[in-house]
Amino acid sequence: LSSSQIDIGLQVLDRQLLDRNGRRCGKVDDVAIEGGAGGAPEVVAILVGPGYWPQRAGLIGKLAGWIGGGRRVRVDWSDVRKIDSAVELKREATELGLGRGDDRLRPYVDKIPGAGR
Amino acid sequence: VSKVLGLALGILAAIGGFVDIGDLVFNVSAGATFGYQLMWVIPIGVVGIIVYSEMCGRVAAVSGKAVFDAIRERLGFAPALGALVASEVVNLMTLAAEIGGVAIALQLLSGLPYRWLIVLAIVGLAVIIWTTSFDWLERIFGYGGLCLLVFAVAAVKLAPDWGKVGNGLLPHLPQNNKLLYAYFVIGLLGAALTPYEVYFYSSGGIEDRWSPKDIGLNRANAIIGYGLGGFLSFALMISGAALFLGHGISPEHLGTIALGAENPLGRIGLLFALVGILFAVGGASIDTVFSGAYNLAQFCGWEWGRYRQPHGAPRFTLTWLVLLVLALAIVSTGVDPVMLTEYAVIFSVVALPLTYIPILLVANDRTYMGRYRNRRLANGFGLLYLVVIMVVALTAVPLMLLTNVGQD
Repeated sequence: LSSSQIDIGLQVLDRQLLDRNGRRCGKVDDVAIEGGAGGAPEVVAILVGPGYWPQRAGLIGKLAGWIGGGRRVRVDWSDVRKIDSAVELKREATELGLGRGDDRLRPYVDKIPGAGR
Repeated sequence: VSKVLGLALGILAAIGGFVDIGDLVFNVSAGATFGYQLMWVIPIGVVGIIVYSEMCGRVAAVSGKAVFDAIRERLGFAPALGALVASEVVNLMTLAAEIGGVAIALQLLSGLPYRWLIVLAIVGLAVIIWTTSFDWLERIFGYGGLCLLVFAVAAVKLAPDWGKVGNGLLPHLPQNNKLLYAYFVIGLLGAALTPYEVYFYSSGGIEDRWSPKDIGLNRANAIIGYGLGGFLSFALMISGAALFLGHGISPEHLGTIALGAENPLGRIGLLFALVGILFAVGGASIDTVFSGAYNLAQFCGWEWGRYRQPHGAPRFTLTWLVLLVLALAIVSTGVDPVMLTEYAVIFSVVALPLTYIPILLVANDRTYMGRYRNRRLANGFGLLYLVVIMVVALTAVPLMLLTNVGQD
């Protein structure tokens, strides 16, 4: 594999996502590929959220995805800035609909003194 | 100078943080049951934890990846989900056992009722974690755990037959009770190699903001810290052997373990032992509760870490709070912490390969480890220990059943 090539299975799938500020905002739970047989397959999006877990692990994945709330977020491949030890994105997590669980819980955590806001 | 001081302080904390309730129970019981015959297992366990801690600490410093990132990335989603469930169950059992240990140590120190002290222990830990920064958490509990060195003094004062101690360092089989002996071998290795130690160690490296500059610090911490921590295991086993062997006493209570220091050194010895046990199991409670939260957050890709503050990592924060409440529920059923410890150690052994194989794989990844990837020495030891771990993982549960959890 030359440095200009990437291995989607090894270097993208199941990797940490970082937004433009370095915030951890999910994992690459799956990738959307278009084209395929006969033409050149192309990765068009990164799929994030427990809603994509059933297609990764059958019944157990379904159960885990249901417990996790089943949210699905699609991030366009054009929003990927860099693939390093993590997958880095060009925009902020909130703009892309990522990291919402943390954002929703934050106001409650902040009510406890010493939450470090 | 401050660099050397920092190094020394870190190492001291690692020594104090090495021993947890699993090490206390298995080392003293092994001494009480087989004398010095199992001494040889201790260095095998210690070298194993050094090899894999050094590796996952290096991966954390170079790539910013913690162990569960590596597990998910290298095993894929479904096996990683299995590893997550297994690790959370074992972590919770261990956490409950450690917290039970905190309550017992508090009870022996204060004389107050155990039930109240469980609640006090949980609330106390939650408040301490909430108000204390990561490096101070490491220091407070690490230094407090150094009180366990009283067992080294006690071991010398008990004047064991050093010839027999030396013989025990050579691997050998006993004449009878071979199954129970094998069960203790597995338990001692399991207690030394518990998966939560590498979860905590690697995530801790990221909490401490390690970078490739800290590779040397990582190596020193792992080798000297855990190496000298293993020295405490020797002391515990010797005190168990010198005091209890042949008297039909097996330390089924943490208080019995403290007798190992009281007998030769009197009340002051007892006090040091109990304070040491309190800080050791208290620190291990924090390691395990954080490990549970690290693993879930890393599996899901959430923001995590004490360094992010609760504001910066709400789901991570909620997770460790929930784990403390679940542990409270478990300990409140009145389950015996020492028994729980044995189960936790044996089950954790089964999950070991799922944790250690991915560490070995990412430590060899050229693409982001570059010149810091594993060399021949680390890979040689890594592979050797993988074999040990596989054998241990496959035999742990059968041996537990055959020996009736070491009761036969």
